[in-house]
Amino acid sequence: MSEAAAAVIKPVSLLSDEQREHWRLAWLSTVDHKRIGILYILTGLVFFVFGGVEALFIRLQLSVPNNKLLSPDTFNALFTMHGTTMIFLVVMPLLFGLANYFVPLMIGARDMAFPRLNAFSFWLVPFGGILLHFSVLAGGAPAVGWFAYAPLSETPYSSQLGVDYWAIALLVLGIGSVGTAINIVATVLCLRAPGMTLRRVPMFTWINFINSFIVILAIPVLNAGLVMLLIDRQFGAHFFLQGDEGNSGSAIMWQHIFWAFGHPEVYILALPAFGIVSEIIPVFSRKPIFGYEFVAGSTVAIGLLSFGVWAHHMFTVGLGHTADLFFSGASMLIAIPTGVKVLNWSVTMFGGRIRFTTAMLFCIAFLIQFLCGGLTGISHAIVPLDWQTKNSYYLVAHFHFVAVGAIFFAILAAIFYWFPKMSGRMLSERIGRWTFWLMTLGFNMTFVIQHFLGLAGMPRRVYTYPDLPGWGWMNMVSTIGAFFMAAASLLLLWNVAISLFRGAAAGDNPWNAWTLEWATSSPPPHENFHALPPIHSRRPLWDIANPDRPDPVVGSSEKPEVAKPERTTVSVLAFIASEAGFFGVLILAFLFYNATPHPGPSAKSLDLLKTGLFSICLFASSYTLWRSEQSLERKDNRGMIGWLALTILLGAVFLGGQGIEYWGLFKSGVNVSTNLFATTFFTLTGFHGIHVCGGLVALLIVLALALAGDFKSGSSHMLKAVGLYWHFVDVVWVLVLTVVYIIPHFR
Amino acid sequence: MNTSQLLLTGWTWHPVILLIAVAASAFYLAAFGMSARFGYFVSALGVVLLALVSPIAALADGYLFSAHMLQHILLLLIAPALLLLGLPPSFSTPKLLQKIASPVVCWISGVGAMWLWHAPSLCNSAVSSRGVYAFQTLSLLALGSMFWLQLLAPRHEQRLNPLAAVIYLFTACVACSVLGIIFTFSPVTVCSIYQHPVERLGLLSLVRDRWGISAVQDQQIGGLLMWVPMCLVYAGAILGQLARFFGEPATPPLNPGRA
Repeated sequence: MSEAAAAVIKPVSLLSDEQREHWRLAWLSTVDHKRIGILYILTGLVFFVFGGVEALFIRLQLSVPNNKLLSPDTFNALFTMHGTTMIFLVVMPLLFGLANYFVPLMIGARDMAFPRLNAFSFWLVPFGGILLHFSVLAGGAPAVGWFAYAPLSETPYSSQLGVDYWAIALLVLGIGSVGTAINIVATVLCLRAPGMTLRRVPMFTWINFINSFIVILAIPVLNAGLVMLLIDRQFGAHFFLQGDEGNSGSAIMWQHIFWAFGHPEVYILALPAFGIVSEIIPVFSRKPIFGYEFVAGSTVAIGLLSFGVWAHHMFTVGLGHTADLFFSGASMLIAIPTGVKVLNWSVTMFGGRIRFTTAMLFCIAFLIQFLCGGLTGISHAIVPLDWQTKNSYYLVAHFHFVAVGAIFFAILAAIFYWFPKMSGRMLSERIGRWTFWLMTLGFNMTFVIQHFLGLAGMPRRVYTYPDLPGWGWMNMVSTIGAFFMAAASLLLLWNVAISLFRGAAAGDNPWNAWTLEWATSSPPPHENFHALPPIHSRRPLWDIANPDRPDPVVGSSEKPEVAKPERTTVSVLAFIASEAGFFGVLILAFLFYNATPHPGPSAKSLDLLKTGLFSICLFASSYTLWRSEQSLERKDNRGMIGWLALTILLGAVFLGGQGIEYWGLFKSGVNVSTNLFATTFFTLTGFHGIHVCGGLVALLIVLALALAGDFKSGSSHMLKAVGLYWHFVDVVWVLVLTVVYIIPHFR
Repeated sequence: MNTSQLLLTGWTWHPVILLIAVAASAFYLAAFGMSARFGYFVSALGVVLLALVSPIAALADGYLFSAHMLQHILLLLIAPALLLLGLPPSFSTPKLLQKIASPVVCWISGVGAMWLWHAPSLCNSAVSSRGVYAFQTLSLLALGSMFWLQLLAPRHEQRLNPLAAVIYLFTACVACSVLGIIFTFSPVTVCSIYQHPVERLGLLSLVRDRWGISAVQDQQIGGLLMWVPMCLVYAGAILGQLARFFGEPATPPLNPGRA
């Protein structure tokens, strides 16, 4: 500890002197989780400026009735870009950045489980952001809203390339998010320091761990929807579009797919924010969090419920009373675990010695504003009320209370709380207070009044409105509030800029906090810790500071609840779960679109026998791969290589068979847009084929490494991991074969 | 017939079922004696009776797919769990069962039972044939017990690790949701026998006119029952497992300075 204390005097930098000389390369090529975390946060802040300016233009246009500042099309593009940017390019990168920086530190790890995957996931964010914004140059930004409802998002109604760029950008960002989530799961499961059992991890870590599962399972649902939308737009298919008989898809299907992702997405954004306040409120209340287990358990409950309630976004669609009834009930249930959390945070503060730092002020505002946003959320679970207020400014106010009043306020709290650790310098508390009050005042001016605007009947997404009684001044108040928020944001950026150069030195632990990230220098050295303190409870630094009254020991260090798994296996299993979500949606879509027979090509025209023979090759390849793994375990290198080569051959034969089938269909004039059967057939089997190709490439790499003699020692996690993936691809084919070929033949 | 008449007279006191229930209780008391656990056993029996002799059974007998789904939930999910809770910790499951009851086998039993019995032809024949119906009932109870064995085995050391159990339950929940989603949004009928009920008990006008449940809505309710409440059972069980995970009592403070 004494060396770390000596380093306090001169705040150390994230870069060594040597790296400072070529600092551009040091940042661009980094695989260090701390620098990647900072890059995430900086990217989020840059796009925050974009999204914020878009919001200001929206508010300016709406400030007075019958305004002509912006054209309707520009207005549509602005709110689409504002929503997409804020969700995918601001809040998600900021939260992933914080998780990236602090999860490894909190569990006493040196880095994330897969540093290079981490860098890859990060660089997909600027790539996706650039793709999305490039649409402006390529003929027009998307103007279909952040949920891009079909058929508006389809070619006949949005003929420019904006929606295509939007979809591809979201695919890119989604892949990055799944990569980060897999990385966090593997890090938390495999890299915890000795003594840091899963029951002792800080709440921020636990929540990010749970949240990663939601990301892994929810994002592929969106990805499946996006590829279907792209197939519609690029190849003239009709997944979500009306067409001729037999080729008429369902626009409602898009809504189901989008919200099956979209509702969990709300929690993907909210849960890490809950994690942030669960760290900050205890520290500035000088009390451990009240009911750790309940906060942890309610997080899981929220995650579970999030997947089953998406239809409450669709009450106005007309799903029927039956569905409305069930989803109304299920949605209201979410109030229980979130209520548990609000109670726990409140009771943590109750009777504590509260220090009103800027971070704590933001947390308190979070608590109050989240409560309001949650209550209006419950009002949307009540179906008749939802019918009246959906698509009005009441809804806009509700989700901004959650997205800004709760989530963004939590991120601001996190910036004030953790900036000293990341930079080694304190942010100015004086400017911080100004930021807080301006932001809180501005936020409430902007959005409180929008509830009343909505109840007075103002619909959302209108570029202007007539001069109805009350609407004008209420909108003006809202617009002025937005500019208060902009001023607060400028103050924050100013604060960050000057504090980086002139802020007071932070020292290791400026807030007297208790989690491990404060047990190292600020910023932490490359390897994070010189030495770790002993860990017996959830607050190891409290135990050191108060040796006479340490926290109760949680569980036992010697008998951890779960054995530490191997990280490659964990990551492949998590990836498989994600892929299963993707194929699950495609298979369900196939079943849905082919429930009734269509004129034109159908499953009956497929050659079951030929496909069956090629399928046997694929299934046999799972067996040969298993034999290869067995050979490796016996250190029989030649046997391993032989079985592996046979596996690759069998996989290639299967692909050849698929190629022959496709060729036959193309020759008889069947393509992806012929009818719904052809569309779903080519989509499902095509994506499976692409995954087989991916598996083959992976197997070829393994084979090349094996030939180079890399696995002579007899153990290779790589072969096992690729093997798991290959078996998964085969299992998917069992389902595809059953659903596409076998069942229709016997119906 | 109106609703209250149905609730009063819709009970079919089948002597064989009642005899089995009485015999099972007697057997339980003879084998394990009277204890608080007998309450679980009695409630398990109560749930089985609710599924088999109450108006739910009458409605499931060709009238309502949704009632049939409720029967499934009671027999596959609720009754077996209560049954296992009713067994004393000293009770050891048969050797053969211990051998085959790996987590994968148990998972497939529980989830497979739900999927298999809803294949259209099996679903129809379970309504039209008494033999198939009896076999279905027994298989649901047996396979449901297999499923819960991983979580509620009388001997604690045979239970899954709590975090593994969370994954076990979550994947089961997903698998059942998928089937529920198919029923809810399917444009075609799954169990065609419910579309044109054979009027055996004179309930058709009650169901269709008074309650206003059309055949399409009926399948939707069935699907939603499987999707939402059934998943809530799994979600509740997951929270139970987390309670187990976090529940280990805290040991007294340890002085890190001296440790």
